[in-house]
Amino acid sequence: MVNKNIFSLAHAAYIRERDTKGNIRMATVVIMPRQGQSVESCIITAFNKKVGDTVDVGEVLFSYETDKSSFDEPAPVAGKILAVWREEGDDVPCLENVLAIGEDGEDVSAFAPKGEEEAETATAPEATPEVKAEAAPAATAESTEAPAATVGVGSISPRARLLAEKTNADLLKAVPTGPNGRIIERDVQKLVDMGLTVSPAAKDAYTEAKAGSGINGRVTLSDLSAASAAAEESAAPAPVAEFEDVKLPNIRKVIAKSMHASLSNMAQLTLNTSFDATEIMELRASLKSGAEKLGLANITLNDMVLFAVSRVILNHKALNAHYLGDTMRYFNNVNLGIAVDTERGLMVPTVFAAEKLSLNDLSRAAKSVIKDAQSGTINPDLLKGASFTVTNLGSLGIESFTPVINPPQTGILGVTTITRRVKEEDGEDVTYPAMGLSLTFDHRALDGAPAAKFLKELCFALENFDLLLTK
Amino acid sequence: MPKSQYVDPGKAFEAGYIHFEDIPVCQYNKTLKEELKLYSKDDMMRIYRDMAIIREFETMLNEVKVKSEYNGVQYNNPGPAHLSIGQEASAVGEAYCLDINDFSFGSHRSHGEILAKGLSSIHKLDDKELYDIMKEFLDGAVLSVVEKHMNAGGNVKELAINFLLYGALAEIFARKTGFNRGLGGSMHAFFIPFGLMPNNAIVGASAPIALGAALYKRSNHKPGIIISNCGDGATGRGPVLESLNFASMDQITKLWGMDGKFDDGGLPILFNVFNNHYGMGGQTRGETMGFDMAARLGAGFNPSQMHAERVNGYDPLAVIDAVTRKKKLLLEGKGPALLDVVTYRVSGHSPSDSSTYRTQEEIDAWRAADPILAFKTKLILGGVATEAEFAKLHEDITNRMTEIMKLAINDEISPRMDLEREPDAISSIMFSNQKVKSLDPTREAEMLMPKEECPRVKEIKGKVRTAKDKNGKPVSKMKMYNICDGLFEPIIDKFYDDPTLIAYGEDNRDWGGAFGVYKKMTEAVPYHRFFNSPISESAIVGSAVGYAMCGGRAIVELMYADFIGCAGDEIFNQMAKWQAMSAGILKMPIVLRVSVGSKYGAQHSQDWTALCSHIPGLKVVFPATPTDAKGLMTTALEGTDPVVFFESQRIYGIGEEFVEGGVPEGHFEIPMGEPDIKRAGKDVTIVTIGAVLYRALEAAKTLEEQYGISAEIIDARSIVPFNYEKVIESVKKTGKVLFVGDACERNSVMRDMASNITEMCFDYLDGPAVVVGSRNWITPAFELEKSFFPQADWIIDALHEKIMPIPGYVPKNNFTDIEKVDRAKKGL
Repeated sequence: MVNKNIFSLAHAAYIRERDTKGNIRMATVVIMPRQGQSVESCIITAFNKKVGDTVDVGEVLFSYETDKSSFDEPAPVAGKILAVWREEGDDVPCLENVLAIGEDGEDVSAFAPKGEEEAETATAPEATPEVKAEAAPAATAESTEAPAATVGVGSISPRARLLAEKTNADLLKAVPTGPNGRIIERDVQKLVDMGLTVSPAAKDAYTEAKAGSGINGRVTLSDLSAASAAAEESAAPAPVAEFEDVKLPNIRKVIAKSMHASLSNMAQLTLNTSFDATEIMELRASLKSGAEKLGLANITLNDMVLFAVSRVILNHKALNAHYLGDTMRYFNNVNLGIAVDTERGLMVPTVFAAEKLSLNDLSRAAKSVIKDAQSGTINPDLLKGASFTVTNLGSLGIESFTPVINPPQTGILGVTTITRRVKEEDGEDVTYPAMGLSLTFDHRALDGAPAAKFLKELCFALENFDLLLTK
Repeated sequence: MPKSQYVDPGKAFEAGYIHFEDIPVCQYNKTLKEELKLYSKDDMMRIYRDMAIIREFETMLNEVKVKSEYNGVQYNNPGPAHLSIGQEASAVGEAYCLDINDFSFGSHRSHGEILAKGLSSIHKLDDKELYDIMKEFLDGAVLSVVEKHMNAGGNVKELAINFLLYGALAEIFARKTGFNRGLGGSMHAFFIPFGLMPNNAIVGASAPIALGAALYKRSNHKPGIIISNCGDGATGRGPVLESLNFASMDQITKLWGMDGKFDDGGLPILFNVFNNHYGMGGQTRGETMGFDMAARLGAGFNPSQMHAERVNGYDPLAVIDAVTRKKKLLLEGKGPALLDVVTYRVSGHSPSDSSTYRTQEEIDAWRAADPILAFKTKLILGGVATEAEFAKLHEDITNRMTEIMKLAINDEISPRMDLEREPDAISSIMFSNQKVKSLDPTREAEMLMPKEECPRVKEIKGKVRTAKDKNGKPVSKMKMYNICDGLFEPIIDKFYDDPTLIAYGEDNRDWGGAFGVYKKMTEAVPYHRFFNSPISESAIVGSAVGYAMCGGRAIVELMYADFIGCAGDEIFNQMAKWQAMSAGILKMPIVLRVSVGSKYGAQHSQDWTALCSHIPGLKVVFPATPTDAKGLMTTALEGTDPVVFFESQRIYGIGEEFVEGGVPEGHFEIPMGEPDIKRAGKDVTIVTIGAVLYRALEAAKTLEEQYGISAEIIDARSIVPFNYEKVIESVKKTGKVLFVGDACERNSVMRDMASNITEMCFDYLDGPAVVVGSRNWITPAFELEKSFFPQADWIIDALHEKIMPIPGYVPKNNFTDIEKVDRAKKGL
């Protein structure tokens, strides 16, 4: 399941040539699309076509991935592959030319991308230190190719934005079909038709620049750059690749680096406990039978744990935080990371402002991001920004484990399988379903007792889930 | 090319010579004694006084300019002051012979002409008439100042002199109490009630305007003559030479009076050259011209040599003698005439002139011959007056001038227009926006037959007024009412309704206009209202301006829109500006017809709506259907504003496809500025300008049938004024808009509209407002035009590439940003 962008003509540039009869012909240059505002370059994982091959509209030309997602690029036009300027494994700056499709005899050499040496000599005037290594090629591409720079701006039409605001359409799920990857009215209408909307609260968290400083609250460029600066600050520092000569999939590199950094740089320790899952299992059973009637989502035990975490953790702000060396950043919202096992490896999509969602809405939101992560269509912007993470190995029968923190978060909660345990009740031994919780926390950020207090309150909430719901 | 005049090859090749008559050069030689038989002492003293007043007025302006002070009164005047010190005798001599029915037009160096003509008119008007004129003018705004603040001793003529000097000076100093509310200024001051017509900052521009005034006198049988003043430098300008020829054309005496009824003779116009030897600094005799003496020009224009004569402009009596004789000729129908009045400008071209082009010796020699001093000496020696009388006269003039200046610079008495408190003061006079059926309801229109007998009227009666008949079959071209008919109907109606209407242009009469709009109109309209002009675009448009200034209505034609360039000044500086520069005193009821060509390459195919709409003061329309052509022409001909009426040669023959029941019969107006929805739709808005409407309809058909996209087509019809409301409404609905026209895309009207719509509909737009215009090239040959002018598929391509990609659509043309940046880099 990859993102088939049938309208990716928007990614194509044109050149005009004349044949000997003077007729105008055109070759189509396919560029590396920009998948999300935060993506600066993508790695080509495979070419399905080579020079000389004939392609039809929609046939996959090549596959590529961002640091978290994979995509296929379909052919925007039919014709012959005249030139391929990249190799598998190349890290290609977004909007740079990849290959050209046209007719025999057309000269497309003018569209060959600039040599890497040349590209490297150019400076990226405003690249921030953290992203220096990866950002330089993209920034260079923009500064040396004026047209690419001009087409990169403006990803949603004012009309589409207005419609999204009115309908609460989830713009993060929009497939842009306008020119230059612009989201236009019909793309938002499609979201609405498919029911892909978000609660206004969640949307606020997505789009921090909602209230613009322009006339009539219009969001201006300055609002957007302010928002993106804020987003950058709150996000994890972008990891820098260290393994140049090993062609790992990009996503593996990221996981490896992230995990290694986590364990080597932090003072992690894990607390284990369990709680009586009787009440949430009963609720789960009754929901299962009644969900359809009430139009509710298929709410799982894990959703309930997420819900409880989202309510309890705000009382323990050191766990809903980022440890940034000399400062702590405490979040006012609970941006809940959910660890998801995918074909490509571990991914952690985020449900923003989870504390504002009802159980039902939280369940839907979690399912949506999990599904996107698994299908590889997740918007890369959704793969960062979490303030706390929940990981669940219960379905695999794990009874206890040591989750690894995703830095700079300060904690991660592992959820395990349910086992039956014995407890004394009115002098008699009775069994009850016990669900295990493993909380890893960063001792640099907080001490054992506060972490244990969080676990205790969380267990109480889960054992008295009806109270939590009525709260 | 009238059939009545046979071009005989036998005669065309006949041998012979062209004979010239001698042109008199400074032949005046009367003595004072002889002249005193004609002029009383009072007359002589008045001639002297008028010259002295002009001298003092200009001396004052010069002092203010170079010293910021006159007679102890301080003032700084940042505006222009083109003075004519030394030329007073020429101006006063000319004006002495004129009355208020004689209209004079002048140059940018015309303070002297204004004052001379004004003083002469004051003398000739009786007190009551004079007072009424002053009282009525601008509701007494000028009069009340001099009445209240100056003592004229109960003498109306003295009051009127104060009025004239103050009105002119306040105008020069840009005061609201000036003759034109300060909007004309030094170079444009005028006062119509004294027959004192507009002067012009553009060198030579008054000549075609004066020509138009002469046409007005002639075609409407009005009394009086026209004076067209200019300097010798201006005779190098095309519009001046065009006007000399236009005024001399044979038909006025040979054809206009052919039935005896309208035989008024030649045009009553005197082209008067104030020959001061310099055009700014260029010496005409000996350097920049080859005529040796400007009077020689007359020999080039007609066999009567325009009765040309060279006279001594330093002697007012010599000038009076010459102008008196010329005026008599003109009133006898023997015009036009030409005078070369030799004079000299002692003052610089402007106060910044350091006279690098002439010697001090030369200036001193002319100073020694000073016309005012010489006349005074003559009168004293002749015993007409004493030194003391002159001294008293000068003292009075200086005192009067000082008083006038104090009033004119007093911000309370003579305020400037306050555009903060009255922000619409100029807006409200840019157009007169009146509706007038006849500009002279007292007269019957002169026509050759009743309207219903006009062959063209009869022909149109038999035509089908729709493009398709009742069964939906296309009507044959011969039977179909087309755009030519739509233009013709209101024009012929107006000929019968408004006796002042005249129509002319190249090949208008027997040919019927190059594109047949006036076909079979010759039979109904007499020559003096409808004629072929020489190929003189400047004179065609410039004369229409003069005709309108005098109170008539003109419809003139330039054939191809490309020829707008030949009449640039007349359209952009004259026709467009005079209503506002006159503070709304003048009206400009002119329809200028221009036709956008095709098939004829680079210089005959251009849509220049952008040029015309860029200039404030012009209304611009471009209808594309017979109904719109008729409705807009009717409105243009009812109005009092200058309208540039664009037509397209691609669609003259097209029938009415939109209005059910066909083109309405009878009087039918379409308000200017209202665009029209020619096809309703909901997905995308296409705004068209002109003939491209039909290509947009084709595009809409393809979009609907092949891609299920419903396009709304709005025909702009008007460009200035333009009501955006309908477009805004449509864009709010569709979110997508393209502006399409045949003009070259860069800086086109479409660009302007797209920019405005982006500002006004930003939040509703689903993509940029896109422009589809012609390439920024020359127009190639007809066979290549499809690569130059917007075609139906260009519109779809632009929609697909810039606003909303259409699934499955493969564009043929490149409208991408990359291509655009690249073209712009190359200037394409």
